[in-house]
Amino acid sequence: MPSVSELQEMYEQAVTARRYEERLQEEYLEGKQPAFDISAGPIPGELHLAAGHEAAAVGVCQHLRDSDVVTAPHRPHHVAIAKGVDLRRMTAEIFGRRTGLSKGKGGHMHLYDPEVNFACSGIIAQGCPPAVGAALAAKKRNTDDVAVAYLGEGAISQGAFLESLNLAGLHDLPVVFVVEDNDWAISMPKGRVTDVDDGSRRADGFAVHGDRVDVDDAVAVYEAAGEAVGRARNGNGPTLLEVQVHRRMGHFMGDPESYRPEADAERAEALDSIPRLEERLRAHGVEDDEIEGIRERANDRVEDAIVWAKDQPQPDPEEAYEDAFTQQPEGWPERPEVAATDGGER
Amino acid sequence: MAAVDAADVWPEDAEDVEEGIVATWFVRDGATVEEGDTLCEVQIEKVSVDVVAPVGGVVERGVEENEPFDQGRTLVHIEPG
Amino acid sequence: MAQVEAPGPETTDRELTMSRAMVEAIRSEMEENEEVFYMGEDVADYGGIFDSTQGLLEEFGHDRVMDVPISETGFIGGAVGAAMQGMRPIAELMFVDFFGVCMDQIYNNMAKTAYMSGGSVSVPMVLTTAVGGTYNDAAQHSGTLYGTFAHLPGMKVVVPSTAYDAKGLMHTAIRDDDPVVYMFHKRLMGLAWMPAPEGPKTPVPEEPYEIPFGEADVKREGEDVTVVTLGLHVHRALEAAEELAGEVDVEVIDLRTLVPLDTETVLDSVRKTGRLVAVDEDYRSFGVTGELLARAAEGALEDLEAVERVATPDVPIPYARPLEEEVQPGVEDVVEAVRAVR
Ligand SMILES: Cc1ncc(C[n+]2csc(CCOP(=O)(O)OP(=O)(O)O)c2C)c(N)n1
Repeated sequence: MPSVSELQEMYEQAVTARRYEERLQEEYLEGKQPAFDISAGPIPGELHLAAGHEAAAVGVCQHLRDSDVVTAPHRPHHVAIAKGVDLRRMTAEIFGRRTGLSKGKGGHMHLYDPEVNFACSGIIAQGCPPAVGAALAAKKRNTDDVAVAYLGEGAISQGAFLESLNLAGLHDLPVVFVVEDNDWAISMPKGRVTDVDDGSRRADGFAVHGDRVDVDDAVAVYEAAGEAVGRARNGNGPTLLEVQVHRRMGHFMGDPESYRPEADAERAEALDSIPRLEERLRAHGVEDDEIEGIRERANDRVEDAIVWAKDQPQPDPEEAYEDAFTQQPEGWPERPEVAATDGGER
Repeated sequence: MAAVDAADVWPEDAEDVEEGIVATWFVRDGATVEEGDTLCEVQIEKVSVDVVAPVGGVVERGVEENEPFDQGRTLVHIEPG
Repeated sequence: MAQVEAPGPETTDRELTMSRAMVEAIRSEMEENEEVFYMGEDVADYGGIFDSTQGLLEEFGHDRVMDVPISETGFIGGAVGAAMQGMRPIAELMFVDFFGVCMDQIYNNMAKTAYMSGGSVSVPMVLTTAVGGTYNDAAQHSGTLYGTFAHLPGMKVVVPSTAYDAKGLMHTAIRDDDPVVYMFHKRLMGLAWMPAPEGPKTPVPEEPYEIPFGEADVKREGEDVTVVTLGLHVHRALEAAEELAGEVDVEVIDLRTLVPLDTETVLDSVRKTGRLVAVDEDYRSFGVTGELLARAAEGALEDLEAVERVATPDVPIPYARPLEEEVQPGVEDVVEAVRAVR
């Protein structure tokens, strides 16, 4: 069982993540009404918010330290927050600012914070192989660091994931695959894309430990993840851990969700993990005003990050040409040299 | 003269939405259409709705492309021809 | 194939967005031929993230409008196999940028089978895919990769720029006995949530018609400079030509298909103007613009006075608005390039 202070920490991360998504939603929709135009407003492009996924983030990351590696998918904010990614710079990145984590080049699906070993990929399941690679590096260097790859239940039919599972199992690598099962892959319900209800059973075929947490509950995730991370850290190999979460918003902002039965959205609401975690705190004797205090601190932190981010400078257009290489070749990339190409003498 | 009012196409679960917008017209003013032809696509909240000609005839648009409208507006008039 | 003259856009009052025109062709082919079916992620109830299958589920059901797992190697390879059996599958790769997870099926199976089998096996499938930026979707969701697909032999590559072409090219693609990669630009589809520029919405005749592959379309005639382009940039080039009207008389050519490429139309124009500007949303190096300049040099060197190209510089597409705008070839970039070759 997590200690009271651990519970408080998890709660704080969870409510920070929730508040963050709610505030980003507001910011994102600015300039996008009444017509939803994806390229308008202070945050353009796709935005995948993770409200309802918090338990998977805080329950696992509670066991991690900065040197452990996490790879996240297209829906990364909650995991980034729980992993300790710099919230101001992450927010600046989402607002496309020069002081963002990637100087405005990455955007919300491509967040990198090497300080806490966090990375993302917007291509489904493609964070899995790099997590295996990080685990391989830890093993070769004899550290006890672990790697965690997050993916959705829709991603478990992707080759990159299955190949990673095999490789990790074969070499007993210190990696944990965390499948966030929110029942949907955009509009496709789980039952339409796999015959296997319990995704953790995928592990059996690779002689890897598999486990599933059926309730959307940070403490249950904490328990299961404690075992999985411990197994990895102690050199006993990988785990595939599937966790039931819920999608409280559309797949991305602007998703009409016409495919989704109302009852399903209501279920997501009813089974929310945050009130559950709050109950746990109360059961451990944490007073209401303490809980309120945590919430306020979380809200302030989110607000601070957003205010800071929006105050940051836009990147200079010329910066588009920097960073494709670490050792950029001279004069690269070749730029259109308008006016230089008069054929002249042939 | 037949007409399609915004209220006719407003999605039930969008009663509290104030404005919709015409995303695209498929016919020009003065075009002749048949019953059942799709006239325009409107976006209300995040839902796209096709507006279909209730009768055949000549089209007179009531709202222009990208123009917001409320539930009280007439989207299109059709003069049966 | 016996070619019936396609009914021109002037034969109808009805205008369609590009997505609806594309779907109309697919619907018509599915009605005509039981062997045509569609596979992709979110193509059933959602109707395609970019409306590429809007309304098809209601008519054809889940058996023929198949949602598939996020397993691009599996289902695109599956389409190849069904096509080798003579069916006519259409498989959708949601964004072209995801090609990496399934390129083996595309490159080593779909594209090479006809040749490797000495012509005894064909792969009559269509691979549809969304391309292009302009809406800040960043490095993994904004590419066009026209050059990548056109470079690898064995697939025909189609890039419509208007609703009229989208429909005719889709009919041709489905009926074609070879694999066809049908690349539709998101910004042109006429999505309510991603407003298209003026131009792609056109009159579209209700009856089926084919637009033959390898026939570029001269969108605007001009005497001074030839601009050759495709996809979204057809509309940007036309806008640039309009802006330059009175100063430079610009001819604008829409390639419509990259494979086969209508070199003759390009050369004819270049022989007339002597000045070529190749415009493309794909990367600058080793791509479409370089190919166009090479063909012009090979075929019309004596007539060539000046060349210029406008393309995305060789960096992954950045996210932030000022950065994406910097690398996206815009109307002004085309205007400048045209002035430069004058
Ligand atoms: C290889 C690849 N295919 C398709 C997509 C498009 N896509 C983005 S998110 C998504 C659904 C993912 O579902 P799931 O893994 O369950 O995660 P969730 O979005 O539900 O959190 C899809 C199909 C992609 N990004 N990459």
